[in-house]
Amino acid sequence: MIRAFVDSARRETAFLRGSVWDLALVTWLPLLLLAIVAVQLSAGVMRNLPIVVVDEDGGGVACDLIRKLEASPGLKVAARPPDMAQAEHLVRSNAAYAVVLIPRDLERTVLRGETGKILLFYNASYSTPSGSVLREVGTVVQAHAKALAGEQSAAIAGPARVRPQPVSVQSRILYNPQASYELQLVALIHPALLHLLFMIAVVSALGRELRDGTIGAWLAGPRGEAVAAVAGKIAPYILIFLLWGALATGYLAVYRGWPVQGSVAMLMGGYLALYLAYAGMALFIVGATLSMGQALSMTALYAGASFAFAGAIFPIESASAFARLWSALLPFTRFARLVAEQWMIGAPVLASLGSILALFAFLVVGSGAGLPRYVSARMSPEVWGRR
Amino acid sequence: MIGRAFLATFRAVLSDRSAFMLIVVSTILYSFFYPSAYSGEVAVRIPVAVVDLDDSGASRSLVRRIAALQQADLAARPASPGAARLWLETTGAGAVVIIPEGFERHILNGAQGTVALYGNGAYLLRSSTALSGIGLALTTIAGEAASDQAMAQGAPARPALSLVQRPLFNTREGYGSTVFPGVGFLIIHQTLLMGLTMLAATLRETLGRFRLPSRTLIGIALAFFVIGWADVAYYAGFVFWFQDYPRAAGSPGALIVGGSLFVGATVAAALALASLFRTRERPLQLWMGTSLAIFFLAGLSWPAEATPAWLALLARLLPTTAGIHLMVGLNQMGASLAEQTREVLNLAILILVYGGLAWWRFTKISAPDLQPLKPD
Repeated sequence: MIRAFVDSARRETAFLRGSVWDLALVTWLPLLLLAIVAVQLSAGVMRNLPIVVVDEDGGGVACDLIRKLEASPGLKVAARPPDMAQAEHLVRSNAAYAVVLIPRDLERTVLRGETGKILLFYNASYSTPSGSVLREVGTVVQAHAKALAGEQSAAIAGPARVRPQPVSVQSRILYNPQASYELQLVALIHPALLHLLFMIAVVSALGRELRDGTIGAWLAGPRGEAVAAVAGKIAPYILIFLLWGALATGYLAVYRGWPVQGSVAMLMGGYLALYLAYAGMALFIVGATLSMGQALSMTALYAGASFAFAGAIFPIESASAFARLWSALLPFTRFARLVAEQWMIGAPVLASLGSILALFAFLVVGSGAGLPRYVSARMSPEVWGRR
Repeated sequence: MIGRAFLATFRAVLSDRSAFMLIVVSTILYSFFYPSAYSGEVAVRIPVAVVDLDDSGASRSLVRRIAALQQADLAARPASPGAARLWLETTGAGAVVIIPEGFERHILNGAQGTVALYGNGAYLLRSSTALSGIGLALTTIAGEAASDQAMAQGAPARPALSLVQRPLFNTREGYGSTVFPGVGFLIIHQTLLMGLTMLAATLRETLGRFRLPSRTLIGIALAFFVIGWADVAYYAGFVFWFQDYPRAAGSPGALIVGGSLFVGATVAAALALASLFRTRERPLQLWMGTSLAIFFLAGLSWPAEATPAWLALLARLLPTTAGIHLMVGLNQMGASLAEQTREVLNLAILILVYGGLAWWRFTKISAPDLQPLKPD
């Protein structure tokens, strides 16, 4: 048994060494994709997002406000068009994400001691940068209003009567105090890339033996040995992708300074369980189709959309019943929760044990359904060579 | 000869089961499958736990108002901040409001009462919009709750400025209507690219190296151009309508030009890439994993301004980057071609570069002419 496992693992690594493109799939391709995502999101927060200001009032209050908008690190006043039509033209040209409209009579309204309205039109088609612009402009306007209110009340009622708003609200973000998108996105996109590439590699490795008709010679032994040989074939891929998982985690936790709040061992255990789960599903799909091409197409459907269905970015709880069911059938959904618990929140190890067990269930069910069919195919040359 | 190659390409797509699955079936399947992930739409209500350490008239009045808040769902009343933290850890995208001891006393003394709002940064993207909404509403209702108690002190200062926010173009602001118009064009790009390269690699595998006469290459390109356009028409015409996403804001003429540029650049890139593969399954293996990275590089969900400049420039080599900007701009934002000049030029250059590359790779090679597409 052990002999069959080791021989099969050796046979697979020898194949990888000789095949440039199969080797690429587990070496420089993962590195390239991990690096692209890491570099792109390395800023973490969005700075200097372009906005335009339409100042219909032209008074001192408006001028001060524009100066404060320009000074805000998150914003860049890219243009000062004379009217809304020109401003919208700039937004439609992707030259700005939002328009701040300072209406006529603002100065007079404020001087009367009433509340002046500032209008913010934002490009909702680009929701992430627009959301950031929204928060920044809101902060600037609030700060400016506070300064003005002090001045106005003091002018009308005398400085002794100036009273602050009765209640102030202090907002804090727990578990990600800098509100960095880098931690949130990269910590999820990296495993999303890795589990997909892993499943493609395993489906390819299993499917290739069918396509090339080599499964008969490879799994020539009795059933038990054949099962060990299949495990030995998958083992090198698990090892390689565990290293990628460790590298991705190390990059973000050590090099970029987003330390793992919970247990690193639990996180890496999660990676192992994630790969085992997708190995199980790879066996299921190859066993069901007995064709490399079709199995790869189904892999795209099954593991290619994990990120959208994981529920970490989009609220899957309020989505349709189908979407919730599909989300529950994806091992990545479980892993995403484990990342939140162990990396960001620092939950106790026991809290994530359920997720690991659930991931093992995918391995048991997937290989239980797929392995017998796959191993049996070694005796049926008529199914070999399907494309 | 162009016509013959054109028809032969359609025959090839229809007779190759895997290619048909990829180019036709999965394009339709994905058009229902992906939008379902985003059908949750905006998270208007997030679960909120309130810890009332003051237990006074003012704090109870505030809790009642939080319960009535549109953005919040009063889900729990933990006894201590510690219990609230535990609740937040298990709830996920939720928020905690803590009313500290002495809240009412501070207000009555004419000082400022403080309320603390805690969000869950482990689910930053999901909770940040809802959180800023709750923060704004809290300021207002906390002021109301306190004003009864504080009347004796005279009316507090009224804010001098208030900000009114209005969405442009994508007024539904759902996850689906924001993300899927980008994802849709990525799906078209990826299925065309992998389908075409797979067919080319299959030919290469069975025939060895081959040379394509220029006209045959044009016929093949035209056939895929038609397939790509059918995809665009199906997505922009049917799927966006079926999902009720904001659409058709631009002029039909601009949409036709924009769609043609996007499909043209995609087909040209696919042809250029197709000349590199020798094994049928290889394009699927190597290209399938790229979708997520390509989507983020397109700059719809993560802006180019926050991407390192050199990477944002490299991303413009992908037809999806300019294509998604252009199609979202024309179709959702109602932009004109002149307003999207940068994307139009970008796609035109890609057509020339990739088209030239494909033409050079397929027609200039010294190898036998491709036989099956030649006249009998």
